[in-house]
Amino acid sequence: MTNRRNFLTGAGAITTAVAAASVSRVAMAALPEPVLQTKPDTMDPLVPNTGRPYNPVVTLNGWTLPWRMNNGVKEFHLVAEPVVREMAPGFKAHLWGYNGQSPGPTIEVVEGDRVRIFVTNKLPEHTSVHWHGQRLPNGMDGVSGLNQPAIPSGKTFVYEFVARRPGTFMYHPHADEMTQMAMGMMGFWITHPKAKHPLIDEVNRDFVFLLNAYDIDPGAYTPKIMTMLDFNLWSWNSRVFPGIDPLVVRKNDKVRIRIGNLTMTNHPIHLHGHEFLVTGTDGGPTPKSTRWYEVTTDVAVGQMRQIEFLADEEGDWAFHCHKSHHTMNAMGHEVPTMIGVDHRKVARDITNVIPDYMVMGERGMADMAEMEMPLPDNTAPMMTGTGPFGSVEMGGMFSVVKVRKDQKAGDYKDPGWYKHRPGEVAYEWTGALPNPARFAAEGGKSMPVQNMPAKEVEVQVRKPMGNMKH
Amino acid sequence: MKSFFKLGAVAMATFVLAGCASVNFDQTLADTSSSVGTFTGGKLELSRTKQQTQARNKLTADLLAQPLGMNEAVQLSLANSPSLQALLAQSWAEMAQAEQSGRLANPVFTFERMRFVDELEIGRLLSFGLLDLLTLPRRQAIAQGQVAQAKIQLSASVVEQVTQVRQAWVRAVATQQTLQYAQQVNAAAQAGAELARRMQQAGNFNKLQRAKEQNFYAEAAAQLAAAQHASTAAREELVRQLGLTDAQVEQLKLPERLPDLPKTPIQASVLTASAKEQRLDVQLAKHQLDVAGKSQGLNLLTSLLDVELGIRRDTVFDNGAGTSAVRKGYELDVRLPIFDWGTSQRAAMNAQSLAAANRYESTVRGASSQLRESYSAYRTAYDVARHYRDEIVPLRKTMGEETMLRYNGMLIGVFELLADTREQISSVSAAINAYQQFWLADAALAASVTGKPTSAGAMSVSSAATAGAEGGH
Repeated sequence: MTNRRNFLTGAGAITTAVAAASVSRVAMAALPEPVLQTKPDTMDPLVPNTGRPYNPVVTLNGWTLPWRMNNGVKEFHLVAEPVVREMAPGFKAHLWGYNGQSPGPTIEVVEGDRVRIFVTNKLPEHTSVHWHGQRLPNGMDGVSGLNQPAIPSGKTFVYEFVARRPGTFMYHPHADEMTQMAMGMMGFWITHPKAKHPLIDEVNRDFVFLLNAYDIDPGAYTPKIMTMLDFNLWSWNSRVFPGIDPLVVRKNDKVRIRIGNLTMTNHPIHLHGHEFLVTGTDGGPTPKSTRWYEVTTDVAVGQMRQIEFLADEEGDWAFHCHKSHHTMNAMGHEVPTMIGVDHRKVARDITNVIPDYMVMGERGMADMAEMEMPLPDNTAPMMTGTGPFGSVEMGGMFSVVKVRKDQKAGDYKDPGWYKHRPGEVAYEWTGALPNPARFAAEGGKSMPVQNMPAKEVEVQVRKPMGNMKH
Repeated sequence: MKSFFKLGAVAMATFVLAGCASVNFDQTLADTSSSVGTFTGGKLELSRTKQQTQARNKLTADLLAQPLGMNEAVQLSLANSPSLQALLAQSWAEMAQAEQSGRLANPVFTFERMRFVDELEIGRLLSFGLLDLLTLPRRQAIAQGQVAQAKIQLSASVVEQVTQVRQAWVRAVATQQTLQYAQQVNAAAQAGAELARRMQQAGNFNKLQRAKEQNFYAEAAAQLAAAQHASTAAREELVRQLGLTDAQVEQLKLPERLPDLPKTPIQASVLTASAKEQRLDVQLAKHQLDVAGKSQGLNLLTSLLDVELGIRRDTVFDNGAGTSAVRKGYELDVRLPIFDWGTSQRAAMNAQSLAAANRYESTVRGASSQLRESYSAYRTAYDVARHYRDEIVPLRKTMGEETMLRYNGMLIGVFELLADTREQISSVSAAINAYQQFWLADAALAASVTGKPTSAGAMSVSSAATAGAEGGH
């Protein structure tokens, strides 16, 4: 366990880190020891005990990077390195990330903080970090070649600027970007307002996550970095459902969720049971006059959305991307539609040649979620996750907002499935089923049929051919 | 008179001497059987009696009662094949002819009756080719050499026949096995085509998609037909090698698959010098050289001299005087070497000896090379077949399993699953072909070590390595 987030927060910790270092003390004295994370779980919020106070966020299946104060400057140490990220239980990806995980840790600062970030490159190639959305000196913007030389392998660069604008931001490389983002190089950045802000409300719970997508062949571990659009894993913070933690809140909590999109397509993010307001983008808080209630908001490529709602309805509420294939895991794009195809005898013939063959898809794809069949190694099932009433038949960008009245403030532990009150669950109708009344005249009178064939035309799907009795 | 009978006794003794060397063919067959016994694994017999024929028929029936293994096929051909019987009979004839040249020419008895006025002369002359007699031991040795050659020739023919039987058996079993897999491919393609038809019927497939699947089936059907004929042709070739009657053909059952590879290949030590010396072709060339050497001196002698010795006893009756007188004596005919001193004949002899010597040398040298080539063909075929068994087929199996897992995860559809199955089966067919090449090379190597190299021994390795039902010939 190398979660030493609290280890470094005191001055003593730095001394210990220096003493423990085997390299030059003088050289190391300038650097905060990098803190690594080995678990993909959602960590409790990191309550600040140095620097300006703020209300910390919770990173879904992630964590916040600890810092040290050095003469009034907040110092962070990011280490860009290859990592193994568990994307779902039993499914691990070989990614590139920061400080042991991908995405990297969330950086939380307060408006007006002077921030110094050490970036050590342990990747096999050069990198850089672009602080997406920040106001900063041009030479700190992190576009390699344009603003700075790229950080070579094995070297440490320092970025330093003042977090001028409160809001929701992210960081990602701007060197060999397509590769490095496809490999999972990204992280969240929150700049909290230093005082009460007219457009930024205080909330009880503040969740953050990044949308990301990978193309990992089932059974493989490393994403295909040449993929441009046709990704097969759609994830939140590099986790796929059912590997994504629920967003646990107390009834009547004011909840903020900040979502950043670093995939190559837009994602209509949809919340059940509540309406929300989009209160911010990466441009900052939205003017109140522009806000309206929605249940789905589209997060375009490279954008941030900050949504807020009052969690006043108890229950387990689905929260997901509304692109239905984004709520599935790896699947075949060339799999033919089998719906309605009669498999009798053919299935037996195929079984004679392929003994393990089993008919699937004849009635739709739900077969997939129902049948527990062996898959290639290191593959997350396409549709899975079991709820209290059976298979949820979901994967990818799907989670649940759990609203409970007895959840304690600041408690993010999963309370289990919602216990419905009697009569509040859809039930089977067991009464009589009268024939539905159908209207008599098909086709309106506004566009009457002109040349109605005398005989009813029978659509022939298959043209008659020679001898078909094979 | 006394000396006449003395000479007669010598002649009789010569007859006996010449007669005792008459061909014992059964013994010859027993010798041949033992010399190539490890090769044939069965007994050679030329059946001449009803009993022998019955015994052969019984053995044939016993062998046909069960699936016929490779060695059983050889035994069956030894017991049943009329062409092998023909071969044996022909060989017998050749040996008998060779024997003939080692015999003494019969003595010539000349009887004269001449009348002159009152005189009646009755002349009796018993003449021998004196040289014939003198060279008899040598000629007998030559004849024996020729018989020995004929024996070797017989062994070689038997080895060739047996090798052909083995190879025909290998081809028959392999093509039968390939046919079985072609049937599986066909079944998979048929299922795919039928499913595609229903897919189109349900509106899920377009014409092109359906046609593609139908096309797989159409091609598989063509391949199946070809495999069916290949199997029939190979089986009929075996039937001919075994010399089966139509009724016996009905009974013929082959095992389902080729035998497993031997755990270890035959080591290169089969190529030792002693193995080379034992080769039939080397032995044959050696015998030919010996015969050439022996006949050289003999022919030199006969080319110069043709000596006939005659014993004469004439009786002259004088009717006028009423007396008779006997005249005794001997005659010696010598052909005078005036016109022909035998130089051309000697030259021919010398040339033939030289040719025999060089043929021998060439055979010995060629034998080494042939052994090495056969061994290389054998070893390569073994390694390729083992590679198929240990690498390609297991890899294909793994691919099949992984493909199945992908089908389970709906990462691929049933048509990809079927396509993979077809490929898997064609790999298995290629593996069968590799096994076939191995067993063909195995038979060829055995023939080569015995000294009757077969052309099929020089199999083409590249064609063995390529996929396909037919290859290597």
